[in-house]
Amino acid sequence: MSYLRRYWLSVVAILVSGVVFLLPFAFIVLTAFKDQKQSALRDFSWPDGNYLWSNIVEVVTTRNWMLLTAFINSTILTVASVTLLVIFAAMVGFVLQRRKTRFNGLIEFLILAGLMIPPAVVPTIWLLQGIGLFGKLHGMVLIEVAYGLPFSIILYRAFIATIPRELDEAAIIDGARPFDVFFRVILPLLWPVTVTNIVVQSVAVFNDFTNPLYYLPGNANATVQLTLYNFQSQFQTSYNLLFTNIALITIPPLLVFLFFNRQIVAGMTAGAVKG
Amino acid sequence: MAGLELKSLHKSYGEVEVIKGVDLSVTHGEFVVFVGPSGCGKSTLLRMIAGLEDITGGELWIADKLCNAVEPRDRGIAMVFQNYALYPHMTVYDNVGFGLKLAKTPKDVRDQKIREAAKILQMEHLLDRKPSQLSGGQRQRVAIGRAIVRQPEVFLFDEPLSNLDAALRVDMRMELAKLHQDLGATMVYVTHDQVEAMTLADKIVVLNGGVVQQVGAPIELYQRPANLFVAGFIGSPKMNFISVTVESVAADTVTVAGKDLATMAIPADGTGIKPGDTVTLGIRPHDLLNQAGTIVGEVVLVERLGNETNISLKLPSGASWLVVLDGDHDMRSGQGVELTFDPARAIIFGADGAARHKR
Amino acid sequence: MAVMTETGVAGAAPLPAMKRRSPYPGWFFLPAAIIYGILFLLPTVASLYFSLTRWNLFSSTFIGFDNFAQFLREPFLIKGLINTVIYALVTSGLKVVLGLLLAVLLTSQIRARGYLRSVVFFPVLVSTVGVGITFTVLMHPTQGMINEGLALLGIKGPGWLVDPNLALFSVALVDVWKGVGLATVIYIAGIVAIPKDYYEAARIDGATSFQNFLYITLPLCRPATVTVIILSFIGGLRTFDLIWAMTRGGPGFASDTVASVIYKQYQAGFYGLSTAGNVVLFILIAVLVVPLTMLLNRREGHE
Repeated sequence: MSYLRRYWLSVVAILVSGVVFLLPFAFIVLTAFKDQKQSALRDFSWPDGNYLWSNIVEVVTTRNWMLLTAFINSTILTVASVTLLVIFAAMVGFVLQRRKTRFNGLIEFLILAGLMIPPAVVPTIWLLQGIGLFGKLHGMVLIEVAYGLPFSIILYRAFIATIPRELDEAAIIDGARPFDVFFRVILPLLWPVTVTNIVVQSVAVFNDFTNPLYYLPGNANATVQLTLYNFQSQFQTSYNLLFTNIALITIPPLLVFLFFNRQIVAGMTAGAVKG
Repeated sequence: MAGLELKSLHKSYGEVEVIKGVDLSVTHGEFVVFVGPSGCGKSTLLRMIAGLEDITGGELWIADKLCNAVEPRDRGIAMVFQNYALYPHMTVYDNVGFGLKLAKTPKDVRDQKIREAAKILQMEHLLDRKPSQLSGGQRQRVAIGRAIVRQPEVFLFDEPLSNLDAALRVDMRMELAKLHQDLGATMVYVTHDQVEAMTLADKIVVLNGGVVQQVGAPIELYQRPANLFVAGFIGSPKMNFISVTVESVAADTVTVAGKDLATMAIPADGTGIKPGDTVTLGIRPHDLLNQAGTIVGEVVLVERLGNETNISLKLPSGASWLVVLDGDHDMRSGQGVELTFDPARAIIFGADGAARHKR
Repeated sequence: MAVMTETGVAGAAPLPAMKRRSPYPGWFFLPAAIIYGILFLLPTVASLYFSLTRWNLFSSTFIGFDNFAQFLREPFLIKGLINTVIYALVTSGLKVVLGLLLAVLLTSQIRARGYLRSVVFFPVLVSTVGVGITFTVLMHPTQGMINEGLALLGIKGPGWLVDPNLALFSVALVDVWKGVGLATVIYIAGIVAIPKDYYEAARIDGATSFQNFLYITLPLCRPATVTVIILSFIGGLRTFDLIWAMTRGGPGFASDTVASVIYKQYQAGFYGLSTAGNVVLFILIAVLVVPLTMLLNRREGHE
């Protein structure tokens, strides 16, 4: 009885989850295979032919290879900001966890504030213009670092608390300077949480739409999310191209999901629970 | 050549003073053990010598060099930690060689030193392993190896055996003693285990509340403890104490009596003691004899081990004592028992807690 | 090791208070502090001033609380304020309920657990704009797949995004679709951490599975509930990208939120008003989330 009930529950769960969560993705993929005429029907039908390749070519080459530029920009943005985030956040997490001073309370308050307070966009634009970083990719990198720091620091601090302080002391006795203690002993030990950080922040930066919308105007530095947003109006009637674009920019998170599912879940839950 | 010299060392955390002026002189090659109850400051003192804690006041001299403001790496010390503190991401070889690598020692010299240390500790077969693949005893060996390659002036040990099981602890204790003989280096060792202290030390430093209670050879501390604290701390089972009243004072004896004790003359230094004073008399459980004599009590609990018999005793005043008698004695709880002891084995402590040993 | 003796040092006068450098150097804070301080804190502080001005990036005129007064006077701005709170309440409420139910289901002895967890979680990682565009197409009143599907069942689907009374809730539903996976994994982590002894003890006491849920799972995964509520509530208050990708705040101002108002005013060149919107959002979060956090954590202390 209980076995039977469990069996039916499983079947229902699989069916419902399929309809609710998979159907939208199936719709994206199917539409990406269609030609313009069939895609305009916006229905859930099997493609009449395989137009995927021509769709891809058209999406990528349109507006002077803009999507390709956008992919390059997004990659640079993601790699650069996540690299800086990992190193700077680990350094802060390390000293913050190890050294108790009267500033710790203030620093922790600022970290929590950063998690809660929405960035003040126009003053930030004003400031970026003042220091010549507005609309520049490296300015955007620094913005992503600033906004991502609180979450990464919390992840690192929690993990560093599990590394015994004796290890630092052993290294100090062995003659390590503070720089060596961190980069040769502690940082290698942080690898699991570093992977989590890399994965979670990469997805966040790659998918970020709002901040590039404000701080990266113009086509030269567009990211993939901005490009998709712009294509939305351009491809009003070419649903096949619009959904080819969506399918293309879903590939990186899909790969991350396939390879790092465990770390990403661990990171998001750990960061959330400890935050 | 001096090994180590502590001059009036002080340590405070804000308002709280944890080390209250420690003076200690250690000659080169000595094995010194710091013992005391937890929180007595023994680990803090060791960490001050290592340079892991700042020195608030006083002077620290290592090998004729004032080290108060010297970085740990330049003090000529090496340290073995309670939890070994091996670098988990490095092999045993790299763990042992990390300090040499940081000091930019040439690769061939480094290799030679690592292999030499591994040979001394018989762990050549472990060099390629990671710490996680080692047993507790093997990790301990690696931690010691890491100390040896530094060829330090002074070895520092912070309760190194406390995480090992009882049998392994005895083995490692003997190995440490042998290592000390072979290397001839100065060693400072912190423990709360008085058996380790008694067996390893050339010199024991008993600490309590951040103050040195007594410094001396192990047997001296056992036989001539300086005060009530040392008398109670060194020796197992613990020394028995009772309050007694002084009846008369002669040149080399003090005659005392009390609720629990018939009049008895104890060899002691009577300076400053007057008839009528209340003093404390201490006698070790092993020194009590099952003969008609000066003490009467009621048996509360008996443990018969065959070669000896442990008895919990309740005295007329309500004080409870422990008695260890040689051989087997058939006793029952509730039974009365009469005991005596050799007065030369008893110790008189004045009202200030200081022992009044016969001069 | 005789090299250790250096004549200069040995002869030096006592140096009692001399401190060595900490092994945890303060300059490790510096790179992060500079970036965070300049690019986040400074604009946040500046926003407090600029929200009191009429501003075009080059010059600002101090106008006191006029911007805020406007926020509370103009109906479309008030609408945005109310919408924001509704949106946050609806999304966080649904995420708590659905997340908990899904987590209970996905920690039970059900088949294909791994597959189900993956399917529920994957949308969390997908581009919000992509999701927004996809659902805009799916929610089309006449040609969208959702209403075509409902028509097959004989139901006349509503005008999801074109009906002013419904648009905000439609977007909130998509938000829940995309975000419930995160709530679920947080709840799963919370449920898995509950020691099995409790359930075994309850079974011996004869508890049904519903009683198990009510008296063990629900109270003991309270920390997860607190996390999900606060996380999704803050997320809901700040939300912009999904609304912008799906309705641009429309039809009319029906689905505007404070965040979309900020963007609209920025586009229109009302920088002072836009910044005032930022401050309003900041105050809204502070006023709602801080007491909420305290309330949730205090009750936890009593148990």
